[in-house]
Amino acid sequence: MQITETLGLLLALSFIISLLALTILIWAIANKQVHTPDADDARSIFTPGEGAEIDTPDKPHHFDTERSGIDQVSASPVMWLIAAAVFWLIYGSLHGLAASLELHLPDLMSGAAQMTFGRMRTVHLNSVAYGWASQAGLAAVFWIIPRIFHTKLRMVGMVKLGIVLWNIGVAAGVMAIANGWTDGLEWLEIPWQIDIVLALGAACFVAPLISTTKHREVHHIYVSGWYFLAAVLWFPVLFIIANIPGVHHGVEQATMNWWYAHNVLGLWLTPLGVGTAYYFIPKIIGKPIYSYAVSLVGFWALALFYSQVGIHHLIGGPVPTWLVTLSVVHSVMMFVPVIAVAINQHVTVARNLWALKESMPLRFIWFGALSYTAASFQGSIEALRSVNTITHFTHYTVGHAHLGAYAFVSLVLMGAIYQIVPRATGKYFPFPRLIAWHFWLNVIGFAVYFLSLTIGGVLQGLAQLDATKPFADSVILLKPYLEGRSLGGGLMTLGHVLLAINLIALGFAKKTRETETDNMVAAE
Amino acid sequence: MMSDKMKKDPRLPDETFEPFEETRRIPLPVYWIAIALAIWGVFMLVETSHSTQVADKARAQLDKQEQTKTAQVSAPDPAAGKALFSDNCATCHGDAGEGVAGAFPPLHGSDVVKLGGAQAVTEIVMRGIGGPLNVNGESYDGEMPAFGSVLSDKEISEIASYVATGLNDGTKTISASEVADIRKVSGDMDPWNGGAELAGLINGLPAQPDAKTPAAKGPDAKLVAQLVNEGTDTVWSCASCHGEKGEGLETVPRLAGLPAAYLVKQLHDFQKGARFNDSMAYVAKGLSDREIIDLANYYAGMSSPSGATPSLQGDLKRGAQLAKEGDWSIGVPACFTCHGPSGIGVAPEFPGIAAQQPSYVAHQLAMWAGGARHNSPLGLMAGISKALSDADRRSVADYLASLPPVPGSKPADMVAMTTSASAAKESSNDQ
Repeated sequence: MQITETLGLLLALSFIISLLALTILIWAIANKQVHTPDADDARSIFTPGEGAEIDTPDKPHHFDTERSGIDQVSASPVMWLIAAAVFWLIYGSLHGLAASLELHLPDLMSGAAQMTFGRMRTVHLNSVAYGWASQAGLAAVFWIIPRIFHTKLRMVGMVKLGIVLWNIGVAAGVMAIANGWTDGLEWLEIPWQIDIVLALGAACFVAPLISTTKHREVHHIYVSGWYFLAAVLWFPVLFIIANIPGVHHGVEQATMNWWYAHNVLGLWLTPLGVGTAYYFIPKIIGKPIYSYAVSLVGFWALALFYSQVGIHHLIGGPVPTWLVTLSVVHSVMMFVPVIAVAINQHVTVARNLWALKESMPLRFIWFGALSYTAASFQGSIEALRSVNTITHFTHYTVGHAHLGAYAFVSLVLMGAIYQIVPRATGKYFPFPRLIAWHFWLNVIGFAVYFLSLTIGGVLQGLAQLDATKPFADSVILLKPYLEGRSLGGGLMTLGHVLLAINLIALGFAKKTRETETDNMVAAE
Repeated sequence: MMSDKMKKDPRLPDETFEPFEETRRIPLPVYWIAIALAIWGVFMLVETSHSTQVADKARAQLDKQEQTKTAQVSAPDPAAGKALFSDNCATCHGDAGEGVAGAFPPLHGSDVVKLGGAQAVTEIVMRGIGGPLNVNGESYDGEMPAFGSVLSDKEISEIASYVATGLNDGTKTISASEVADIRKVSGDMDPWNGGAELAGLINGLPAQPDAKTPAAKGPDAKLVAQLVNEGTDTVWSCASCHGEKGEGLETVPRLAGLPAAYLVKQLHDFQKGARFNDSMAYVAKGLSDREIIDLANYYAGMSSPSGATPSLQGDLKRGAQLAKEGDWSIGVPACFTCHGPSGIGVAPEFPGIAAQQPSYVAHQLAMWAGGARHNSPLGLMAGISKALSDADRRSVADYLASLPPVPGSKPADMVAMTTSASAAKESSNDQ
């Protein structure tokens, strides 16, 4: 009892300290204690840099990453990552679709253990989380970090070794899961023996990024850089602590499990997606982000409040009440960073809606940025006990998870791929119309998917709460909504296939791109 | 291949444009929202710290109760004994232990208590007793359930001491530790087999009638045991869900001591779909009529300790009120009106509900209320269940779980092949 009180006090203090830190930060910004990058500062980045002078020095906020040779160095590891990511996207989507079909056609593919729902779903999660989203996010990181630091990517060989190790790890993990060898915790299913390979791969990503950062040629680090660097430092800590075997048992293990599972979204995939959107939105539109001060609040509030969020998955479980309450409070505090990011990104897009027509990548990224706001608001509200009572253990949660991991992170990263690939390869996408098709298939597919699960999930939750109804009633009423989910999932998967077709065709195409061409993916 | 045709918006930047952030103040609403959320967060945490204190207090109280329960030295408290007596014994034996002529033997001035003292009372309370018995020259032939599984050592010592010294003029009480010693020896034993077996315990007990010999096990006894414990090629064993002693678990009901005719009807209802449960529909369809009757008789004759404890946070006082008196303001009669005193059941229609698993009872009441279960005679249970609130259902289920288990039926209550056929017919008429 003494121990829980002490721990409770410490954790409650973590909320108070986070609040204090946020207050001090806001005070410092308001009183100009924080150095803000003004025009002079921005101009200072052009002084000695590699080939920065090639550019028109009278134009502030301009830097030619292509002629300075920066893009050329990053291009090959980035393309490796994109190719692998899209492979896992297709692989994972097909498994997700199969798992969805099995929910309303239970006898489908019941012949082999590898094809059953429990394994299909788990393979889906691991391939899209670690194979697709992580690698696509890293592609954006390796593309953007050298660009905003005005220096070439260092230790390229190590990055490539990391890519090889990471993909071996994901492939081995997915095979292990399909054959019934898992660690048995959601998001941590890949056996810890295989996790060692993934951890080594991650280390091969972190070192070159730190080295590149050390060699940066700019004084001020652009906001995307904060998110990316924080993410690549947070993720290894999360991944290694959560996967060390034999440390956590019982209720404590469940607590650790959800600490990890939620942080892998909030402190890994989210910063990758937010950082990517922060870079490409102004880059494509050609207008600055709304406010540096707001960026600061957004980043630090995420860093301070996110790490305690995951325990809201255990509302009603056998964990101490104060721990759950702390998590609920932190979840609701997430409104602060999300509002900050929303102001910065949406204002910039809203003032330049014309650009959505001009750039397909921006459409993907803007849709993703909107979904980030929606998913986060939804998540904060879902963490409240009164709402959670209905939505817990229902498909509503699945809909929410896809709003975050798919409509936000995946759409932003798909946009990033469409933006990066022509610049990294010097080729146009051979079928620009397919990009528009991809966008609309994903948007419509996701709308069908999300609405089905959200409405179905609430009805399921209400039916489960009604003690006078047999459990089977809550299952039967879901059937049409699950069919809607499969339909939506099918459309989304089809969109991914179009992305793969375009990428493969681009691989076989001849170089066509002229160096000065803008916005190579423009619609038309 | 398309660069010539590309129409470019003049507002698009060139490739060398670098993203940057403007210097702008934080919009005021961001401050307001952050401050509002921070206040709310602190309020939530303070409120939880209150709930932690409540939990700590409750835990401390439980610890204290646990300590007093296991306290070996304190003498039994006569006032507590009287209260326990009126809660657990008075329903049958009367408030002053006067008994009911021909049905329940008296405890006040009883020769069994006088000769056996608190020790003998403890033995009987612990194991229960059934079969022919003479008390003060009157003969009885009833069933008293075993209280060993529902009362603590301390509680039994208080009841036994009260019966020996409060209702009678004995002087010797019994302590909780002595009760614990008795529990070690006889806690798991079957009920006393009438006065004949009791005579071996109590010296000088007046002549007792011969004990009934247990019903001869039919030739199928071995087959039934196999069905119960191992299942067949087509159905899994009963015990795999209902427990080795038919005591049930969670939403799986206790079967031990339920009337054979009731069990037969339920299995037939599962077969026909008149009562719905996926597992039981499958099992019942895999059983022959002969097997159903044998199984029903097997469980009806079974005496086993209670496997139920109140676990639904129900209000036991409210539960007791509903079970004993009902609540006429909502049109609910007492459970015991039909299900017998102390919920021991009234064969053939009304099953015993004492010591039934609370989750099962609450779940079944909810199913009746919602219409998913609808196989009670005359639709009695549907009307009652609908009138009960969710909290009432949990309260009554918890109260029933605190009662001693129903003793196994006498051989006379068993069903034979013919009666079961008529029972099946009856139940089909209900539909």
